[in-house]
Amino acid sequence: MIEFDHVTRTYGPKPAVTDLSLSIPRGELFALLGPNGAGKTTTIKMLVGLLRPSRGAVRICGHDLAKEARSAHLHTGYVPDEPTLYDKLTGREFLWFIADMFGMPRHIATQKIDREIDHFELAEFADDLAESYSLGMKQRLVFAAALLHDPDVLVLDEPMVGLDPRSVRIVKDLLKTRTREGMTVFMSTHTLAMAEEMADRVGIMVRGQLRFLGTIAELRDHMAVETTNLENLYLELTTAKPGSP
Amino acid sequence: MSGTAWWSMTDRGTHCGSCRLIPAEAESRVLARLRSTIARETLKSMLSVARLRLALVVLLSAVFWGALYGLFVEGFLFLESIHAELISLLFNAFFSSLMIMLLFSTAILLYGNMYCSPEARLLLTLPVRAEAIFSHKFHEAMWFSSWGFILLGSPMLVAYGVVRGSPWTYYLLLLPFMVSFVVIPATLGGICCMSAVAWLGRLRVHALAILVAVVCVGAAWLGWSLIGSVAVVGGTSEWFETVLSRLSITEQKFLPSWWLSSGLIEAARDSKRPEARLAALSEAVKFLAVLVSNGMLLHLLARWLARSCYRQGYSQLVGEVPARRQRQISWVDQALSAAGTARGRPLRLLLVKDLRLFRRDISQWSQFVIFFGLLGLYFFNLRSFNYNMAYASMISFLNLAVAGLILSTFTTRFVYPMISLEGRRFWILGLLPVHRDQIVWSKFLFSFFGGLLPCCALLYLSDSMLGISRSLIWVHEICCVVLCMGLSGIAVGLGARMPDLRESSPAKIAAGFGGTLCLVLSSLFIMSVVVIAAIPTHLAMASRAFGGGGPPPTGLLGWASGPQGTATSLLVVGFLGVIAAFLPLELGLRAFRRLEP
Repeated sequence: MIEFDHVTRTYGPKPAVTDLSLSIPRGELFALLGPNGAGKTTTIKMLVGLLRPSRGAVRICGHDLAKEARSAHLHTGYVPDEPTLYDKLTGREFLWFIADMFGMPRHIATQKIDREIDHFELAEFADDLAESYSLGMKQRLVFAAALLHDPDVLVLDEPMVGLDPRSVRIVKDLLKTRTREGMTVFMSTHTLAMAEEMADRVGIMVRGQLRFLGTIAELRDHMAVETTNLENLYLELTTAKPGSP
Repeated sequence: MSGTAWWSMTDRGTHCGSCRLIPAEAESRVLARLRSTIARETLKSMLSVARLRLALVVLLSAVFWGALYGLFVEGFLFLESIHAELISLLFNAFFSSLMIMLLFSTAILLYGNMYCSPEARLLLTLPVRAEAIFSHKFHEAMWFSSWGFILLGSPMLVAYGVVRGSPWTYYLLLLPFMVSFVVIPATLGGICCMSAVAWLGRLRVHALAILVAVVCVGAAWLGWSLIGSVAVVGGTSEWFETVLSRLSITEQKFLPSWWLSSGLIEAARDSKRPEARLAALSEAVKFLAVLVSNGMLLHLLARWLARSCYRQGYSQLVGEVPARRQRQISWVDQALSAAGTARGRPLRLLLVKDLRLFRRDISQWSQFVIFFGLLGLYFFNLRSFNYNMAYASMISFLNLAVAGLILSTFTTRFVYPMISLEGRRFWILGLLPVHRDQIVWSKFLFSFFGGLLPCCALLYLSDSMLGISRSLIWVHEICCVVLCMGLSGIAVGLGARMPDLRESSPAKIAAGFGGTLCLVLSSLFIMSVVVIAAIPTHLAMASRAFGGGGPPPTGLLGWASGPQGTATSLLVVGFLGVIAAFLPLELGLRAFRRLEP
């Protein structure tokens, strides 16, 4: 579903992501972890087509983002770290805009918009202009828009920012259900507890390189430490010098 | 993985479940619907929450349009009576300079809309064609960059039609002519913008700076040579020949401005003979067709360019890392922080902070420099004309009003939102040992001293160029101090009285009710100050003009036109300034003390 093929991205002379090779199959929830400046946002931007790799290729469902961006986007839903909406559209109008852009037939779009409004409990404010929404309301609407077309791949950049505990629970339940149905989720997060609870595999990036790739259990084996706490493992790995295990 | 792919291989890339890639026309329809919905909602919200602003905009636009129309009718009648062929040259000069301005303004707007806006980021992650995003953003940019042309150009063209006694077809063709003309420079602006981002990389800033410099030097040369010719030979036939030869540089047949002016002149031609009228109309339609076909061709070229390089350019731009620059503490900041008593130190530190933010915000100081720079250029060129004293005195007071009006746009746009923006950072200031009053006073002092120096200097320049008497220069300088004080008080006081703590954009804060009220009150204040200060001078001028060299006037007229009258008018102006500054400030201080962020 998602494939990074020897991807390198530089900002001027400075490498942001170096030789990233990663394949995420259908139905997997993958969490990308790493300290600030590790290259997570660059990776996400390449995955949604906002940045092109300096070398290598990023593919979604077999479509190279640099060559077939539209086809790749057809399979992708994206929840950015800062929700972008049109202030002068209502939530429902925004969902219709997304449905139209994805070429959904009217009757299907109507069903799916109602379904997402119901899932994310948007009914109360779906017909208000987005300029009156709080950050949490905006984030829920962006989630609804990203899932509206039942994407094969969902890309989440710090998805829980601004959500209240109930909304977090809704999102987690939804992600579990959708991954069981075959959707692939690529999530960048700083919330280690979330990664530990939700992710099938985690990747830990440090200074543009994928320092670790595997399950939490494999991470414990890899670090060869007697701790059960992901936070300690993460800190151990991200503060270790390059070359050490 | 591809061997076990569950999505249909026959539809690979065009379908996904219930979704599909939509045709280009459908994409355009969806985006057009988006634009119209947003425009409708914006208008609705303006009608519901910003009625005053909307009414003012409509009213002032109508007044402006009417005034321009009258001015152009007079101008065309004058030109018709002396050198009718000058109209074609003036049209060419006007439209060609407009073309350059439209090109630059659309390029700059498109740069912001296509590469820096959150909307572009959203659209680029959707299955939308790059060229559709370009067209969508192009429509917005074209409208924003050309509404001024419609407002300025339509009274001129309607006046021309009326003076020439043009047939109704001229008025019918006006809008298609204007729209088809605007498309050409706007599309060229789009092409320049996309090419610069995709291929010039970091060099684009330097390239743009060089281009702007070349255009400015060219415009300055042309303007200077025209004004020079005016100064030398007055309004003689020799002068007309000089002007004609200078302006003929804009009369090039390959320029869209020539197609437009030629088309309009043909369309305006009226004749008693039906065949001559038909011939003129068909010529006009031919020029319109040339404009439309070129506009369409360029738009196709721009869409092709967008398809090939928009996503690549966006990626390049996102990938650019801004250079880190170490900021040194300037001597002004150091001096301001160190000077004065310890009691006033918090106030000075707040001033230093605002000064630093102003210096580092290019949108603020660049507009400041451009507007006051243009005003300075205009004042500098005043010497090129010969005036009698009455005329010079009138112009000097008009210049005082213009300087005040420009300052009021700055106080409304940048000073009025300062307290609102401070409100968003209230958690910082709220925890500091600073009295709330000091925050408000620091804004007032920042605005007052910030406006004082350029305005006083500019007015001195204007008066020197006009050859005004020393006493009148003092009158203007005193008025200028009063204007700076009053305008700062109005902006800061209203900003503190009506803060908008939820809004982070200063432009949106200034565009609200409070900002509009600030602009209206500022304008009324400027008019009052200028009229009151001008009365004694003009009474003196009038009595001299109508007195026919007889004895000076006595009684009330003599008193009002003498030094006592001037002193009284200055006292009234000063009183007005104190009221304008301190009444809103007092209201603002009271409200700000009670403010709960």
